[in-house]
Amino acid sequence: MFAEVLKALSDGFLVTLQIFAFTLLGALPLGLIIAFGSMSRFLPLKGLVKTIVWIIRGTPLMLQLIAIYYGPGLITGNNIWSYSNGRLAAVLVAFIINYACYFSEIYRGGIESISKGQVEAGQVLGMTKSQIFFKIILLQVIKRIIPPMSNEIITLVKDTSLSRVIAVYEIIWAGQSFIKGAGLIWPLFFTAVFYLAFNGLLTILFGLAEKKLSYFKS
Amino acid sequence: MSVLEISNIRKNFGKTEVLKGISFTLEKGEVLSIIGSSGSGKTTLLRCLNFLEFAEKGTISVNGSVIFDGDSTKKMTDSEIRSNRLHFGLVFQSFNLFPQYSVLKNVMLAPTLLKRGTPEEIEANAKALIDRVGLSDKLDSYPCELSGGQQQRVAIARALALNPDILCFDEPTSALDPALTGEVLKVIKGLKSSDRTMIVVTHEMEFAKIVSDKVIFMANGVIEEQGTPEEVFDNPKSDITRAFLSTSFEKF
Repeated sequence: MFAEVLKALSDGFLVTLQIFAFTLLGALPLGLIIAFGSMSRFLPLKGLVKTIVWIIRGTPLMLQLIAIYYGPGLITGNNIWSYSNGRLAAVLVAFIINYACYFSEIYRGGIESISKGQVEAGQVLGMTKSQIFFKIILLQVIKRIIPPMSNEIITLVKDTSLSRVIAVYEIIWAGQSFIKGAGLIWPLFFTAVFYLAFNGLLTILFGLAEKKLSYFKS
Repeated sequence: MSVLEISNIRKNFGKTEVLKGISFTLEKGEVLSIIGSSGSGKTTLLRCLNFLEFAEKGTISVNGSVIFDGDSTKKMTDSEIRSNRLHFGLVFQSFNLFPQYSVLKNVMLAPTLLKRGTPEEIEANAKALIDRVGLSDKLDSYPCELSGGQQQRVAIARALALNPDILCFDEPTSALDPALTGEVLKVIKGLKSSDRTMIVVTHEMEFAKIVSDKVIFMANGVIEEQGTPEEVFDNPKSDITRAFLSTSFEKF
């Protein structure tokens, strides 16, 4: 029985990991674009971006999942997510948008915390805006945002469980299915072992990244 | 032909007039000290020269060609601003070294990005400049491992690496304790040569007296007095200058 549970939970956790990895892949760069939008001097764009961030951060991710999965069908009358893996795709869209908005605020805080003098030093040395950002500012920002980003990323690992609301078979769903199917409650609680192990690994990785950037102070 | 000619530079921050028509010329190889109390507009003037601020009125000419005209209706493009900035170097009060790069990399970064020669040439030139400011043994150190005086010397080498026509210093020793001030001033003094033009905004009166060819005393956004160090320090004509100098040299 234990082997059977382990197999089912591992299958579920694989889906959890997929949601996690693809969300990061999409939300890390998208967050930077949103951050630039929210710092734009073009006020209509800034206003639009700030409004989107307000809506996304101001409503539950679970509601956003439901809206993205059922919304198009309710409006147009046909379900755009009906293909195989469509549910997973809907989850990824919701997660990427949601996490990109949170990341964007962390990026913005990080970028704005870098002293103006760093930008000016690059300017008087004749550098272009993108050279100043990528060669001077970026690494200093990364160093500063590792702690808040690690918080957010660890939260993401656990938030993946919300995707069961649109019937994506991730690890919580896998654990829960043993309650109805076999009358077993412990597989559900056993999922915690997977989360803890993976978040432990992430904690170690973030610690290493912080250590790697500890050679300079900014 | 003057290396630098600025005429009638005016700058406001909101309703506050910070520069009320500044004009002066500078010949190649001259060292100009700008003195004056805080808020007199010295730093703003330097920032206008380096295009970190933009004057509302007036012109800036380098080697006879006008690079800035406040009356021009045409907005300068980013690349024009960049190439204009390269006539000037600026050493900041707060050093502003790039913390994630070693001393050598700090000096090499801009010449590398601007493709000022082969990597070997850039590195050799950077090492020579770092040697010049006396930090050859710190090539691989990071800014956080250096004293303030050492950091400022690296910043000077970094500014020299692009070989600007005019090197500006914005209160280069104001963030340093007295023990470290001397080493930086010594380096600046050592840079004086027939082909290096420098503008130093400073509160170090003794230094300004010894090192400058020309001194400008600014007060309330205007040049109150200008001349040789002897003229300004020893025989000031204006009452405001006299009052400023007497408090500056007053020890206690």
